[in-house]
Amino acid sequence: MMAPYLLRLLCLCLAAFFVIHSVVGVAVAAAGGAAVRAARRMRPRSAGRFLLALRLLPAALGLIVVGGLCVPSYLWLEPESNAEELGAGCLAAAMLAAAVCGISMARGLRAAFRSARHARGCERLGRLSKLAGWQRPVRIVDVHAPLLAMVGVVRSRVVISKPVIDALSAGQLAAALRHEEAHRVSRDNLKRLLLVLAPGLLPGFDGFGAIERGWARFTEWAADDEAAAGDAHLSLALAAALVRIARMGGHPPPVRLATSFLGDSREISARVDRLLDPVLVAPARRGNSARMAAGLALAAACAGSMLHPAALQTAHRIIEELIH
Amino acid sequence: MEILWERGESNVREVADRLGRPLAYTTVMTTLDRLFKKGLLARRKSDRAFSYSPGLNREQWEQKRAGDFVAGFLSVAEPSRDLLISCLVEAVGGHDEALLDELEKKIKLRRRELSRRAKP
Repeated sequence: MMAPYLLRLLCLCLAAFFVIHSVVGVAVAAAGGAAVRAARRMRPRSAGRFLLALRLLPAALGLIVVGGLCVPSYLWLEPESNAEELGAGCLAAAMLAAAVCGISMARGLRAAFRSARHARGCERLGRLSKLAGWQRPVRIVDVHAPLLAMVGVVRSRVVISKPVIDALSAGQLAAALRHEEAHRVSRDNLKRLLLVLAPGLLPGFDGFGAIERGWARFTEWAADDEAAAGDAHLSLALAAALVRIARMGGHPPPVRLATSFLGDSREISARVDRLLDPVLVAPARRGNSARMAAGLALAAACAGSMLHPAALQTAHRIIEELIH
Repeated sequence: MEILWERGESNVREVADRLGRPLAYTTVMTTLDRLFKKGLLARRKSDRAFSYSPGLNREQWEQKRAGDFVAGFLSVAEPSRDLLISCLVEAVGGHDEALLDELEKKIKLRRRELSRRAKP
C-alpha cells in the first residue's frame, strides 16, 4: 500500500509499539508467576511497586522506543519527498497495535466514567463530616449497605456508610480509616487506572492476570501494614474490623477504580492471619530519595544515548526493514 | 500428579518408586497412560521409555476439577438443579460463616495473649 509521509510515520509508530510491546509483554507474562513468587519475599509495598512496574513495562518501553527513537530518527533521516510502499506485516502490526490500544483506552475511559459516577453518587447521598478520633473529613453516606471505600481517582476520599460506623468500635473504626488513608497516600486508585489503561497482549487476550491479582493482594497487605504501623493492638483492631464488616453481608458490587476496605473477600483469611502474626506486620519504610535520583540519572542516560546520531541511524535502518 | 508436580518430568519407574504404597510397574504405567490420554499429562519418548510431565499446574488442575464438578452438577433435570444450587449457596454461606468464626476465635486468642503480656 502506498502511503504519504505522515501516515507512514503513524503506521510505523504503531507497528514498532506493537513489536516491542509483544516481545516484552510475552516475556513479562511468562515470568508473571515467578515474579509474584519473588514479590512474596519483599515488603508488601515494594512488592506492589515491583509488580506494577512489571505490568507497565511493556507499554512504557514501547512508548519510550517510539517517542525516543522511531519518531526522531524518522523525522531526521526519512526524506519527505514522496509516498512509499508500506509492507503488509507493518500494516498488520499497526492495526493490531491500534486494536489493543483502542480496547485499553475504551476500558480505561469506561472505568473512569463509572468511577466518577460512583463518586458523584456518594457525594449526593452523603455529607462531609469529621469522625471522632480522625482528623481528615470523610463522606458519610446514608445507605443500608456496609460501605467503606476510597473513591475518586485524582481527589480520593473515604466514603463510609452509617451501618459500618455503628458496627465498629472506635478503635476498629480508626484502624479501618488508617487503612483507607494508606491507600489514598499511595494513590492506589490512580495506579488502578494505569493498570486498566495498560494494553493487553492481543485484542481479547490480556495475559497479565497473575501480575494484576498479585498487585491487588500486595497493595491491600501494604495498606494493612501501614495502618497497623507495627502496633499489635492496631493490627488486632484492624483484623477485628475486617471480620466484623465481612459478617455484615450485602456488600455493594465493587467499583473498578475504587478501593474497598474488604477488597477481595477470598483474601480475608490471609489478611487476618498476617495481621495476627507479630513477625510479619512491621512498620513500612518509605522509599528513599537516593533510589529516585538513581532512576532519574538512568533515564537521563538512556535519553542521551537514544538521541545520539549513531543510535538514530541504526533505528532508521531497522525502521526501513520494518516498513518494507 | 503430586509426584510429577514435585519432581517435574519423570518416567514410570521414578513415579512408582516415589509412591506411598507398592504398586506394580504396569499398574503405574497404565495409570500414567490414561492420565496422558485425558490430557492431564504430557509425555515424550526418552530412550525406550516414556517420560511424563504434568500438562496442568496445580491451580489449573483444581480449576478443571471444580469445572467438571459444576458441569456434572448442572447437567441434571431442572427442579433438582435448582435445589442443588440453593443447597450450594447455603453451603457457601455456611462455609463463610465458619471461616469468620474461626478468624474471630484467632482474634480473641491473640487479644488474650496481648492482655496477658501487658499485665506485669
